[in-house]
Parts: sequence; structure tokens; C-alpha cells
Amino acid sequence: MLRLDGVQAGYDGTQVLWDVTLAAEKGAMTVLIGPNGAGKSTTLKVINGLVRPTRGHVVFQGEDITRTPAHERPGKGIAACPEGRRLFPLLTTEGNLRLGAYPKGARSSADETLTYVYELFPRLRERARVKAGRLSGGEQQMVGIGRALMSKPSILVLDEPSLGLAPKLVSEIFVKIRELREAGLTVLMVEQNAYAALRIADFGYVMQNGHVVKSGPPNQLLDLEELRKAYFAIP
Amino acid sequence: MKWPKLRAIGPSLWGIGVFLLVLGGLAPWIPRFPLTILVNLLIFAALAYSLNFITGLTGYVNFGHVVFMAVGAYTLGYTVGTIRLHPLGGVALGGLMALVLALGLGAVTLRFRGVYFAIASLVTPLAGLNIVLVLPALGGGQGILLNIGFDPLSWFYTIWAIIATEVGLTYWITHGRLGYGIRAIKSDEDAAKSLGVNAPRLKLFLFALSGLFAGATGGVYAWTTSGVFPEAAFDLTFSLRMLAMIVIGGMGTLLGPLIGAIAVYLPSRFFLTIFIGTESIIIGLVVIVIALFVPGGIVGTLRKYVPELRRILE
Amino acid sequence: MSRTLEASEIHKYFGGVKAVQGVSLTLETARIIGLIGPNGSGKSTLLNVIAGIEKPTKGTVTVDGRRVDGWPAHRMVELGVAKTHQIPKPFLGMTCRENVAVAMMYGSRREGEPASALEESRRILAMVGLDRRADAPASNLTVQERKRLEFARVLATGAGLVLLDEIFAGLSPDELRDAIALFARVQKEQGFGALVVEHVMRAVMILSDFVVVIEEGRKIAEGSPKEVVEDPAVIEAYLGSEATNVTP
Ligand SMILES: Nc1ncnc2c1ncn2[C@@H]1O[C@H](COP(=O)(O)OP(=O)(O)OP(=O)(O)O)[C@@H](O)[C@H]1O
Ligand SMILES: Nc1ncnc2c1ncn2[C@@H]1O[C@H](COP(=O)(O)OP(=O)(O)OP(=O)(O)O)[C@@H](O)[C@H]1O
Ligand SMILES: [Mg+2]
Ligand SMILES: [Mg+2]
Repeated sequence: MLRLDGVQAGYDGTQVLWDVTLAAEKGAMTVLIGPNGAGKSTTLKVINGLVRPTRGHVVFQGEDITRTPAHERPGKGIAACPEGRRLFPLLTTEGNLRLGAYPKGARSSADETLTYVYELFPRLRERARVKAGRLSGGEQQMVGIGRALMSKPSILVLDEPSLGLAPKLVSEIFVKIRELREAGLTVLMVEQNAYAALRIADFGYVMQNGHVVKSGPPNQLLDLEELRKAYFAIP
Repeated sequence: MKWPKLRAIGPSLWGIGVFLLVLGGLAPWIPRFPLTILVNLLIFAALAYSLNFITGLTGYVNFGHVVFMAVGAYTLGYTVGTIRLHPLGGVALGGLMALVLALGLGAVTLRFRGVYFAIASLVTPLAGLNIVLVLPALGGGQGILLNIGFDPLSWFYTIWAIIATEVGLTYWITHGRLGYGIRAIKSDEDAAKSLGVNAPRLKLFLFALSGLFAGATGGVYAWTTSGVFPEAAFDLTFSLRMLAMIVIGGMGTLLGPLIGAIAVYLPSRFFLTIFIGTESIIIGLVVIVIALFVPGGIVGTLRKYVPELRRILE
Repeated sequence: MSRTLEASEIHKYFGGVKAVQGVSLTLETARIIGLIGPNGSGKSTLLNVIAGIEKPTKGTVTVDGRRVDGWPAHRMVELGVAKTHQIPKPFLGMTCRENVAVAMMYGSRREGEPASALEESRRILAMVGLDRRADAPASNLTVQERKRLEFARVLATGAGLVLLDEIFAGLSPDELRDAIALFARVQKEQGFGALVVEHVMRAVMILSDFVVVIEEGRKIAEGSPKEVVEDPAVIEAYLGSEATNVTP
């Protein structure tokens, strides 16, 4: 579905990605994990076109989109909730969501998808008329995810969707993402909440210092016992 | 705060200092005509430095800066015309009046942010003009004509002193604790406040300085033209020209206003007389090109691309 | 010197939105209070009111018995109360060191000389593990690094009472463990009191001496961390039944 081939990229002369090769298979849920500053967000920015690779290729549904400008990518079926959300602070919650349905294929079903997003995040329905810049941190995160869904994508690219969400909502949202994947959506997700993410993933990649250092199905990827210990060491 | 040690003073300040000293020493030997051109150039530079205090350092774009200049000019016109004050006294009083106005105006308009401040600032020249037009004491639509003679050397040393003070102050402000607070405000005012920066007071201080020097320079300007004329004194394109100078030279830098003044004034003095009336269009185009392609202006861009110059240019 | 901040019966309305509706809490030197609650329950708003960024609609804030509600943020910082931003607000055009130096010079320490403030900034950046990035422009930082910078700046103000809005979000399990240990160490060293808003329950459980839970702007529970997470009302409103499985 989506493939990165030997991608190198960076910002203003500092190289961040050294050699990233990964693939998100159709209908599967792929997660990308790794420590702070490994280059996960940068990898996602390469996919949604905000960062241009200096070497390598991005291939989506058989088409080389390495040079496709960012604004054309949603139309091709790539929807992203980038790091830092990037909402339009002066538009309302609903305005932001509706803008997500801007690609042609998504416009006709916008009302329907909006209802779905409001079911997913009932809080947003209550805050529909409020300017996005005034929402709480978690509410803004919900809008970011909801806006990505609004474009009826064939691949959903999420950068740390659980960031800033209340625990109850985190479990709910992972269940929902899993449901979407069951309904046939391809998902590529960066997540620090590695245990939760790997539990619902089909395939995982681990990044370090701009390289992919490990990959495989979740059970091979990480020693779940180890991980469990790391998480549950509550005194 | 302590005065900076002589050795620690950067090359840019040395450069400007030497430039001013040489000019000051040579002035008595410069023939009258070139001297008046030089005075005009320095008036522009002084205005650019004054606008740099608020717009260059904080990013608050002030379209109404010309008002302070007008206040200074009218103060000189009135005091010299009616109570026969020495023009130097008029210059000082002009600065003072503009400072007072800046404090009053700033207390209100500096509450607005970004584009709202800019819009509010657009209104002030119009308001100022309409007030002056109905005040008989200021000559109404006729303005004030003075009979104070032609004295380029005095003009020169007055404007020279104003610039020297502005440059020194700019350096002092940007190199101390205040400089950090100001950069913080320019970058993110809310974050600055929540780290203890008293943003309203600091902005007002800069706005007042900017008014003070623009007012004094306006006084000198009225002195050189032997009069004040309302339409010219509140001319918005004058504000635009000052903005052009700091944008072209490099906002918030020490050398920028001087370089910008030279870059804007000399061509318009020597070439643009050929295309009368198109001057503001050309300046406008240049500003747009600079803002789009070299947002740091001359100084900022050189600093960015020539690392060796970074220590030298400020 | 021991200090006490008391917020009592704080209300904050935005037009028709009642973000905070009568919450009271006490913050003291060397104690860590956790503040949790669903998204949009008014936690950040309460922090903003205490820090002087917003004025309360009703209610009072006192520091060592002195009324301070309605004071502007910069005066609260002078007084020794400072807050991080949930969505980091670094000074993008400055290096990390300069970011911290601003806090150093304008906070309650009033360090007057840029040179010494810059020097001291290094030490504070090292404290939060950002020393490698000291001379990098803040615009190059990742979101997590920006959160650390927020924390470093608050420390640099010299505040004795700090308000921290989700500084532990977005860390991997290992990083979280390190960050919690680091925070505990710094807190012990500096002895500040902290009001910690956090969804990362692991951090709340380990660090807090006392936890306050709010929902829809009202307090629904308070007590020791253990008491609070076992409270059915808190599980229902905030943790969710499955929570212990997914967000430790
Ligand atoms: N806008 C930028 N300009 C310059 N450097 C940047 C920028 N954004 C990120 N970097 C640098 O690129 C590297 C990788 O950043 P990236 O955001 O991809 O990491 P990440 O794996 O997503 O980390 P995190 O878990 O902290 O989100 C970091 O060293 C960071 O400092
Ligand atoms: N200026 C404002 N105008 C209107 N509503 C606002 C404003 N500021 C905050 N709100 C609303 O007040 C409520 C409380 O917001 P607050 O940021 O305090 O939540 P929070 O508890 O910090 O949530 P989160 O955990 O998601 O960060 C939210 O519903 C938010 O949309
Ligand atoms: Mg990231
Ligand atoms: Mg919040």
C-alpha cells in the first residue's frame, strides 16, 4: 500500500533520517515505535509531504509520490494527524472537521463521517461551535484525529494519537482504531504507548537515531513480559 | 546595569561610532549643498532608528509613526514661531511632547496584538491631521511658516547627536537583560509574561523611546524646512518609507536602520526624481520583494549566509 | 522558607462555558499535588487562574495569606509561582540556553547579567537532560524536548511553587521511568511544591502526595493516590474499567 525506500531526510542541513525502509500493508495496522528524537515524526512528515526526502522514494499504491506536494496527498487518500495537531485556531471545532472533508471523494459523505466522529468523541459535539484555539489540549487532539478521519482516507497516518488524552479515552480510541482497521482501513501509527499500540497492531517497526533497527509482528518485536514489567512497576 | 567594557563592544558599534566621528569632524568642511543632503539622509536614519525601537525590536508594526514626527515638528513650529524659542529648545520640547503622546497612545494601542495594533496605528495620522486642521494656533490648513534662516551645520550637529544617542541606546538595550525580555516578547508574548517579563511596561518603554526620538527628529525636520505643513507632516507614505528602511536594512538590528536609510534615501534623491510620483510604488515593490525573499533584510541575510560576518554585523 | 498557596472556591466562566466551578486546593512547599480529570474538565484553566494568566470569575487565591487573585502572570512569577504550558511555547528564535536565561533574568531570581544567566542556564538544562541541546535553536526541538524546555524555564525562574501541565506526556516506558526519577531528584534538591496535571497515571501514582480529581469543573474526589484510583466515581469518569491494561 505505502512503502518508504531508503529514505533520507532532515531539516535545514541537519540530517535526521539516514535510511528508512518500511511498508504499511493494505488493510493492516502498522506501528512505528522508538525513543525520543529517533525520527518517527519526521518519517510521518515525509509521508504526508511536509518534509522532502533528500534520497529515496515514497511509493503509494504503486505510484511514486516522493515529489507530490503535501496538499495533493489527502486527495490521493493519505490522511494525517501530524505532531502538534496543526489545527486552524480561528475556525470552530466543526469548521476544522469539515475542512478535513475537503478532498473530492470525501465531500459527499461529510455529514455521515461527521456523525461518526462525534460518536467517537462525544465531547467534540458539545464543543462544536467553539474556536479550536480555545479547546483544551485533549480536545484539540481529538479534533486532529477526527479531521484526519473526515477525508475518508485509504490510509490513516497518526502521530501519537493518545497524547494528552484521558486514560479512559485512550483505551476507547485504541478500540476504535482497531475497529476501523477491521473495516478495511489501513493504519500507520507512531505511538509511545508502545504496549497498547502493539497489542492491536499487525506489524511493527522500531526506529533509533534515524534508522529502522527492528521489525516484525508484535510478539517478536518486544518481549511482552519485559514490557509489562516496565509498565506495571507501580509501587 | 553595568556599562559594557570597551573591549567587549562589538565591531558594529565601533563601525558606526567611527563613521559618526569622521562625519562629525568633516562636517565644517563639507560645502553647503552636499551638507543639506547629508542632513536629510541623517534625518531619515534617525527616524529609522526611532521606529526600530518599537517595530524592529518587538515586531509591533507601527504605521502611525509619522505622528510623533509631526508632533515634534509642530512643537518646534509653535514654540519657535510664537515664543521665539531657540530651535534647539524646540527640538527638545518636540521630543518631550511626542514622548508624552506615545505614553498616552501606547497605553491604549499596545494592548492590541499583531495586525490589530497595526490597524489601530493607521488611524492616528488621520486623527492627528484632522485635529491640527481645526486648531487656529497651529495655522490650520496653512501650517506654520518660520523665519529662522539657513544653518546646515547646526542642523547637522543636532541630528548627529540624536543618531548617536539612538545608536548607543539601541546597543545598550539589546545587549543587556532588557534585550532578552524584548526578544522573548517578540517571539511569544504570552510565554514571556508567564516567565516574569512585564511585557506591557517594556513595550510602553520602547514605544515612548520611539516617540521621543521621532519627535526630536521631527523638530529638526521643521527647522530644516523652516516650517510645518499639515498634509506633509501627517503624510502616511512617510511612515511607509521609515518601515521600508528598517525592513530593507534589517529589523531590530543595530546597523540595519542606517543601511536601510541609505538604501532608501539615496536612490530616491538621485534617480527617482526622473519618475516623479512613482517613488512610493517602487519603494513598495522593493519592500514586498524583500519581505518575501529576504525577510532578514540586508543585515539579517548577510548574518545568515556569511557566518564569518555574524560576529561583526549586528 | 515554607510557602502556602491556597485556591478557594475558584470559578472560571468563558461566556456560557463554565470551565471551573468552585474548586479549592492547597499547595505547599515540598509537597506534590496531582490534579487529574477528563479532557476539558478544567485542569489547565485552573492552573491558568492560579498563575495569573486568567482572572477568576469568582473565588480567591492567596499566597502565604496574601490575596493575589487577579495579579498578572509576571507578578506571580516574581512572587515565586510559575507554570509550564500544556502546549509548549518556546521562544523559537532563541537557543535553549537563551530561553532559560530569560526565565533566569525575569523570574524571582532576578539574575541581572546575561552572561552569568547564560552560564547558569547550562546547569539547569543539564538538570532536565537537555544539555546536549543547549545551543540548538528551540525551533529544532521535538515536542518532548520542548516540554522539557518548558520545565527548565520554570525551574530557572526560581519559583518555589510550580504548576506543571502534562510534562510527562508522550514518553516511551523507559523514558517515562527516567523522567519520573529525574523529576523526583530535582524536586528533592530544589524542594519546590508542585501542582501536577497529568494523564500519565504512572507519574501521578509515583509522584503525588495527594491527588485531586475534577470533572466538569467540580471536584469529585481527593485523597491519597491509592484511594483515588480505587474510587468508583473516578474509575467511571476518568480511568475507565480497562484503564489499568492500557495506560499504566
Ligand atoms: N523543525 C525541525 N527543525 C530542525 N530539527 C528538527 C525539527 N523537528 C525535529 N528536528 C530534529 O529531528 C530529530 C528527530 O525528530 P522527530 O520529531 O522525528 O523525532 P521523534 O522520533 O518523533 O521523537 P519524539 O518521540 O520526541 O516525538 C530530532 O533530533 C529533532 O531535534
Ligand atoms: N477561552 C475559552 N473560551 C471558551 N472555552 C474555553 C476557553 N478556554 C477553555 N475553554 C473550555 O473550557 C474547558 C476546560 O478546558 P481546560 O483546558 O481547562 O481543560 P483540561 O482539563 O486542561 O483538559 P485537557 O486534559 O484536555 O487538557 C474546555 O472545554 C475548553 O474548551
Ligand atoms: Mg514525534
Ligand atoms: Mg489541559
